Amino acid sequence: MNFVRLGLWLLRRERASGEWRVLLLALIIGVGSVATTGFLGDRLKRAMSEQGASFLGADLLVSSPRPITRWPQHTLTTSSAIEFTSMVAKGDAFQLATLRAVDAAYPLRGSVRIAARPFEPGTARPAQPPPGAIYVDASLLPLLNAQVGDRVQIGETHFTIAGVVAEEPGQLGGVFGLAPRVFLRADAVAQTRVLQPGSRVSYLYQFAGDAQPLAAFSAALKPTLDSTQRLIGSREGVETLRGAFVNADRYIQLTALISLLLSVAAIAIAAHRHALRHYDQAALLRCMGATTAQLRTLYAVQLLTLGLLGSLLGVAIGAAMQHVLALMLLPDAAARLPALGAAPVGAAMVSGLLALAGASLPALMRLIRVSPLRVLRRELPPLPLAAWISMTVSGSALLMLIAWYAGDARLVGVFVGALTGLVGVLILLARLALLGGRLVQRMSHGPLRFGLAQLLRHRFDSTVQLGAFTLALFLVALLALVRSDLIASWRAQLPPDAPNYFLVNIAPQQQAAVASFLTQHRLQASALYPMVRGRLVSKNGSPIAATLPPESRNNPSLRRELNLTWTATLPANNTVLAGHWHGERRAAAEISVESGMAEQLNLVVGDTLGFQVGDQTLTARISSIRSVKWDSMQPNFFVIFAPGQLDALPASSIASVHVPAGKASVLPRFVKAFPGITVLALDKLIANIEAVFAQIIGAIQLLLGFLLAAGMAVVIATLLASLDARQQEAVLLRTLGAQRAYLAKSLWSEFIALGLLAGLLASACAEIAMALIAHRLFELPVRLHPWLWLALPTAGALLVGTSGWLTTRHITRVPPMQSIRALN
Amino acid sequence: MTPPDSAQFPVVAAHALSQRVNTADGSLVILSEVELAVKAGETLAITGASGSGKSTLLGLLAGLDQPSSGELFLLGQNLNALDEDARARLRAGRIGFVFQSFQLLPALTALENILLPLELAGRSDAHARATHWLTRVGLAARAGHTPRQLSGGEQQRIALARAFATDPEIVFADEPTGNLDADTGARIIELLFELNASAHTTLILVTHDEALAARCQRRIHLVAGRVA
Repeated sequence: MNFVRLGLWLLRRERASGEWRVLLLALIIGVGSVATTGFLGDRLKRAMSEQGASFLGADLLVSSPRPITRWPQHTLTTSSAIEFTSMVAKGDAFQLATLRAVDAAYPLRGSVRIAARPFEPGTARPAQPPPGAIYVDASLLPLLNAQVGDRVQIGETHFTIAGVVAEEPGQLGGVFGLAPRVFLRADAVAQTRVLQPGSRVSYLYQFAGDAQPLAAFSAALKPTLDSTQRLIGSREGVETLRGAFVNADRYIQLTALISLLLSVAAIAIAAHRHALRHYDQAALLRCMGATTAQLRTLYAVQLLTLGLLGSLLGVAIGAAMQHVLALMLLPDAAARLPALGAAPVGAAMVSGLLALAGASLPALMRLIRVSPLRVLRRELPPLPLAAWISMTVSGSALLMLIAWYAGDARLVGVFVGALTGLVGVLILLARLALLGGRLVQRMSHGPLRFGLAQLLRHRFDSTVQLGAFTLALFLVALLALVRSDLIASWRAQLPPDAPNYFLVNIAPQQQAAVASFLTQHRLQASALYPMVRGRLVSKNGSPIAATLPPESRNNPSLRRELNLTWTATLPANNTVLAGHWHGERRAAAEISVESGMAEQLNLVVGDTLGFQVGDQTLTARISSIRSVKWDSMQPNFFVIFAPGQLDALPASSIASVHVPAGKASVLPRFVKAFPGITVLALDKLIANIEAVFAQIIGAIQLLLGFLLAAGMAVVIATLLASLDARQQEAVLLRTLGAQRAYLAKSLWSEFIALGLLAGLLASACAEIAMALIAHRLFELPVRLHPWLWLALPTAGALLVGTSGWLTTRHITRVPPMQSIRALN
Repeated sequence: MTPPDSAQFPVVAAHALSQRVNTADGSLVILSEVELAVKAGETLAITGASGSGKSTLLGLLAGLDQPSSGELFLLGQNLNALDEDARARLRAGRIGFVFQSFQLLPALTALENILLPLELAGRSDAHARATHWLTRVGLAARAGHTPRQLSGGEQQRIALARAFATDPEIVFADEPTGNLDADTGARIIELLFELNASAHTTLILVTHDEALAARCQRRIHLVAGRVA
C-alpha cells in the first residue's frame, strides 16, 4: 500500500474540514505577508545590483564638497558636474529644487531619458540641455504651475523648460527623493549667481574605462582624498546603497514576520484540533495493520501537501500585494523595477513550511502515538509527548525562522524578547479584561448574560482570541496615531510666531538690503548668522579619527563639512552645560560645541580642535559645551566660534523669519528681489516629510492588514476547536426549550463583547504607547484620542462578531436530535 | 514456550494471561491467569458483567495491547516477542474488527470505508471486492453516502462488510449490537453469522447479549478478571 497515495486520498475526502481550511487560510495569510515584503525587497536589491555602473552613471564616482584640481595620471573618460539646491521660480510660485549642472559627457554610463510631457517614456539623450534651457523632474511642474516650454527663473537667470526627466541613473524617486531634480548646463551656473562662499555644493567627478586602468587610478587617488571626499566604485556605490537598504528591508521583513508568527498560533490551534479529531482514525488504521512509519508518512504527506498549497497561494497573494506596495512607496519607479524573482518564492515557501512544522509537528507526533487499543477504549489518550520534545521541535523551527529574517543573533534576541514581553503583557491584560467582563455579566440578563458567561467559561480560548486580536488592532492603531499625530503634535506645540522660513545664502553685500526689506514688510527675523564651511581635522594636535574608537570613526561630523559660524551672543535656544560662554573675547580662538557632538567625539572643555577652512587650517580651544533646542526653528550650529578668527573669511549668512499666512504674498517679491537667496519653506519641507512618512506608514499598514487577517484566523481556529463543546451546549439548551433566536443572540453577544474588549484594550495600549513615544522620545505633550476609543471597539466588534458568527451559526440551525446523533 | 505450528495448533492461544494497571490506590488486576485456546473456524463468545475484563481480554487477544504477564499466540506468532509495529503487520489483512460504535470514518463514503482495509492490505482488486461486499450486505444503493446519512443498523452493516472484505482469518467483535435496538441487533447478528459461515473465519466476540452468545459454539464467562 502506498501510504502517500492513501494520505492524499484521505486529505481529498476531508477537504471540507474546518480545521484544514483554517490551517490553510492562516498559512496563506502568513506566507502572503512575508512574500509581499520579500518580493519587493528582492526587486529593489536587484534593481540596484543589475544596474551596476548605470546606477552611478559611471564606473567610478568621486564626490567632494570642494573642487578637486589635481588628479593622478590616467587615460579614463571623464565627466564632471556640480550639484546644489536653489529656488526655481515662475511668477509667484517658487520651489526648492536639486540642481545638477552637467557637462556634455554626462552620464558616462546608463542613460538619461527626456520626455516632452510627464509620464511619457521619453528618448535617451545627453543630460546637458541646450543653451538657455533646463530639464526638470515631472513633480516640479505642478508645484510651479508650469509646463514644458514655460520660462522659469533660477537665481538671476531665466531658463526654458525643455523637457521632463523620465529616467536618470540611480533615481528611484518616491520616498527616496524630496527636492525635485533639475538638469542645467555647467556653463550656465555662473550667470545665475546662486553660488556664494559658504554655499553647500557637491562636486561630482565621473570616470569610465577598462578595469585595469580604473583600478590603478582608484589606488593612486584614494590616499589623496580626505574624509569628506568619497570615491565610489559602481560596485561599492551600489553596495553602500544596498547596505542602507538591506537594514531597512530587514526591519520591514520582521514586521511581516509578526503576521506569520501570529498565523503560527492559528495553525497550532487548528492542527491540535485536527489531531484530536483523528485519534480514532489513527487507532483504526493501526488496527487494520498500519505501522508507526506508515502513519507518519500518511499524516506527513497531508501536512506537506497543505503546506505547499498554502505557501503557493500565499506567494501568489504576496506577488499581487507587492505590486500595490511598490506603487505606494515608489510611484515613479515601480514600473521600472525588475520582474519578480524566484529567490523570494523559495524563501516564502520555506518560511511557510517552517512555520507549519513549528506549529503542527507536536500535534502530529501525538497523533502517531495513538494506541490501537483506543478503538476499544475511546477515553484512552495517546502516549504523552515529553514537553521538552514538543518545545524543542516547535521552538527550533520557529527560532530558525526568526533567525533567518533577523540575520544576526542580537536582533533575534531583541525580537524574541520584545515579542515574548508583548505577548505576556497582552495575556495579562486579556485576563484582567475578562475579569471586568464578569462584572458586566452579573449585571446583564438573557442572551447577553449567557453570551458573556460563554466568554468566561472558555477562558483559555477567550484569552488567546483577545490577545491575538488586541495585538493586531493595537499595532494598526499605533501606526495610525504616529502617522496622523506625531508631526501635528510637534507643530501644535510650536509658538504661533515661530519662524517658518529659512533664508540661506545671503551674500554680505545683500545683508543690509535684506534687513531693510524685512523691516519694510514688518517681518520678524532672527539674527543673521554668518557661515563658512569647514572640516574638522584634528583634536589636541592629533588627527581626529585616530583619537576615536573604530566604531565612532564613521560619525557624520567627520564625513562632511560643518557649517561654522561666529557670534558673541549666546543664541536664544542654547544653554551652556559646561565651561563659560566666550562672549566678546577675541584674545584667543575659542569655540562652543554642541553637547551631542561633544559626547560622540569625546570632547571636553579645554580640548583644542583643528578645522580646515578652504586652504587654511584653524585651531580653537573649546571653552564651552552647550545644549541646543534643535526644533526651535532657529538657525542652530554644532560649532560656534568666538568673533575674531573667521571674520575675515568670505561667508554667506543664514536667518530664519516668521511670515504670517496673510503676508505670504511678500515672498515672491522677496525671491524676485534676491534671486540668489534660497528661501526654504519649512511648512512645505515638513509637509513633504509628512507625505513621505505617510507613504511609508501606509505601506506598513498594508502589511499590518495581514496581521489583522491572522488575528481573525486565530479567532476562527479557537472557535472551531470549541465547536463540539458549543454544539453540546446548544443541544442541551434547545432540548430545554431555548429558541434559535436566543442562541443566535447569545452567540452575537459573546463575539461582539470579545471584539469590543479587544478594541478597548487596543485603544488603551495604543494611547499608552503613543504617550511614551511622544513624551519620552520627542518631548511632546501627551494627549488623548477620543476617536480611537470609538473606532477600535467598533472595528473589533464588527470583525470578531462577524467571523465568530459565521463560524458557529450552524449550531443554532441543526435540530437537537440530529446534533445528538452527530455528537455520538 | 515454543511457537506452535498453526496448522495443528489454535489460531489464538493464551497461557497464564494477566493484566494489571497502576492506579493511585495501587495495582489493579484486570485479568488474572486466563487460559484460552481458539481453533480455526471456531466461534467464541466472551461474556461477563461490566468491568469483568471482557474488552481488555479481547484487546489482548487481538494484539492491540501487551499483557502484564503470561504468553499469547496469534496466528502462530508469539505476541510477547513483537513490538507494536510488528503486531500491526501481523494484523494487516488477516484480522477484521467490528466495534460497538461502528468506527466508520466520517469523511469517507460507505464504499470507501469498506475499501480502506483493502487498500491498506495492498489488494489489487480492492475496488471490486469493496463493491461486492457492499452488495453483500444489501447497501449497494448507499455506496456514495457518508455515515452521517446512514442509520445505526446500516452503519454496522458497512462495518461488517469492512471487517470481512479482506478475507480475514479472524474477526474480533466488541459488543456489535451494543448500540442497536433489539430488532436491528437481531438482523445484525444474523448477518454476522451468515458472513462468518460463508467466509470460514474464526469469530471471537464480546457481548452482553445472551442471544448473540448462544449463537456461538463456545463461550467463556469472566468474573472479576478470571474465567469462571
